[in-house]
Amino acid sequence: MKRSSTLQTALAIGLTLVAVTANGQPSAPAVDPAATKAIEGMSTYLRSLKTFSVEAATATDDVLDDGQVSTNTAKTVFVVQMPSKLFAETSSDRQSRSYVYDGKTFTLYARRAGYYATVPAPATLRELADVLSDKYGIELPLTDLFLWGAPGWGTGEITAAVDLGPAEVAGTTCQHYAFRQPGVDWQIWIQKGDFPLPRRLVITTTDDEAKPRHIVNYTWNLAPSVNDAAFTFTPPSDAHKIVLAAISQ
Amino acid sequence: MARTFRASVSIALAVLLCGAVAAPVHADRNKARTSVNRSKSVKVDSNRRTNVDVDRNRNINVDRDRNVDIDVDRDRDIDIDVDRHGCCYYGSGWGTAAAVATTAAVTRAVVGTRVYTLPPNCRIVVANGFTYQQCGTVYYQPQFVGTTTSYVVVNSPY
Repeated sequence: MKRSSTLQTALAIGLTLVAVTANGQPSAPAVDPAATKAIEGMSTYLRSLKTFSVEAATATDDVLDDGQVSTNTAKTVFVVQMPSKLFAETSSDRQSRSYVYDGKTFTLYARRAGYYATVPAPATLRELADVLSDKYGIELPLTDLFLWGAPGWGTGEITAAVDLGPAEVAGTTCQHYAFRQPGVDWQIWIQKGDFPLPRRLVITTTDDEAKPRHIVNYTWNLAPSVNDAAFTFTPPSDAHKIVLAAISQ
Repeated sequence: MARTFRASVSIALAVLLCGAVAAPVHADRNKARTSVNRSKSVKVDSNRRTNVDVDRNRNINVDRDRNVDIDVDRDRDIDIDVDRHGCCYYGSGWGTAAAVATTAAVTRAVVGTRVYTLPPNCRIVVANGFTYQQCGTVYYQPQFVGTTTSYVVVNSPY
C-alpha cells in the first residue's frame, strides 16, 4: 500500500516534470495563497475605512485602430465617506469630469463644457458603481477601491498569484504582488505594516494583443477634513443641465 | 495630378458630408480596463472627442488651404468616425441611419441623429429645464453618453 502510494507520487512528479519541460512553463498556474491572502487583508482593511481621500495619478492606454497605443494621463482627486458619499474629480488634457454622489442623487459635471446631468441614485457606492456601469456606461474613477472587500467580492477569478517581494513606492515600503485572471494581468503594491493600503496598481488588458495598460499611483489621506457640502452638487451659474443617456434600461 | 484632384474632391466631399465631424481624431478600437473587479469592460469610450470649436476650425482650414497635400489617413479617419456616429451604443439599426443622417446634417438635419460636435453659430436655449443648442433652425439636445458629450438632433422644444 505504502509502496503504491510512493509510486503514485513518483509518477505524479514525473508527469509534472514532463509537463513543465514540454512547454517551458508549469502546466498548472501557481496560486500562492500568501498573495491572495494579502489581497484579502488589504480588502478587509479598505472596508474598515469610513472616510478617506485619495489623490491618484493615472496613465491609461487607448488602442488605436491600427493597434498603436496612445497613453492618456490624468489626475484624480477622490473623497469618500462610506458607504454612500463620494466626490471625485478627474482632469486630463482631454477631459475634466466631476462625480458627485450624496446617497440619493448622482451628478456628472463637465467643467470645461459647462454641462451637468443629475440622476437618481441607489443608497450605496457599491450599488452606484453597478448602476453607472450597466445603465450609463460610466466607470467610476478608482472604482476598485470600493469594490475590493465589498459583499460578494472574492478572489475566485484569480488563476495565478505570486509574491514578487519588497518594493518601494514613493518612499513607502510595499510588497509587490502579481495576479492573473481572465482578461487581465494585474500587479499591486501593498503598503507593509499596520495599514495595508494599495499604493500602486497596474492592470494589463490581455485580450487585446496590444496589451493596453492602466497604471494608478495612489496617495492616501486617512483623516481628511470633509464637510457634507462636498458631496452635494451646486451647479455653477454658468453650468447647463443636460441629459445623461441610458445605454440600457 | 488627376489623382491629386480626385483626392482633393474626396477630402472636400468628406468634410462637406461630415459637416461638424471633428477632424483629426483617431478611432479607438479598445481601451485598457481600469478595474480588476469587473469581468467586462465598459464599452463606451469616454475620450474620443473633446473640444468642439478647435476641431471644427482646423477642419475647415484644412479643407480650404491644404487641398494639395492629401493625407489618406485623415480621409480614412473621417470615414471611420462617420461610421461610428451613434451607431455603437444603442444596438442595431443606428449605423446606416447615422451615416445617412450625418450626411444630411448640413442640408437637412434628421431628428435622432447623434453627433459629437456642433455646426458653427449655435446658441444655448433652455426649455422645460433642459438645455438645447439652437444652430440655425436645428435644435440639438446635449447628452452625456458615458462621460462623453454628444448632441442629438431634436424637434424644436418650443
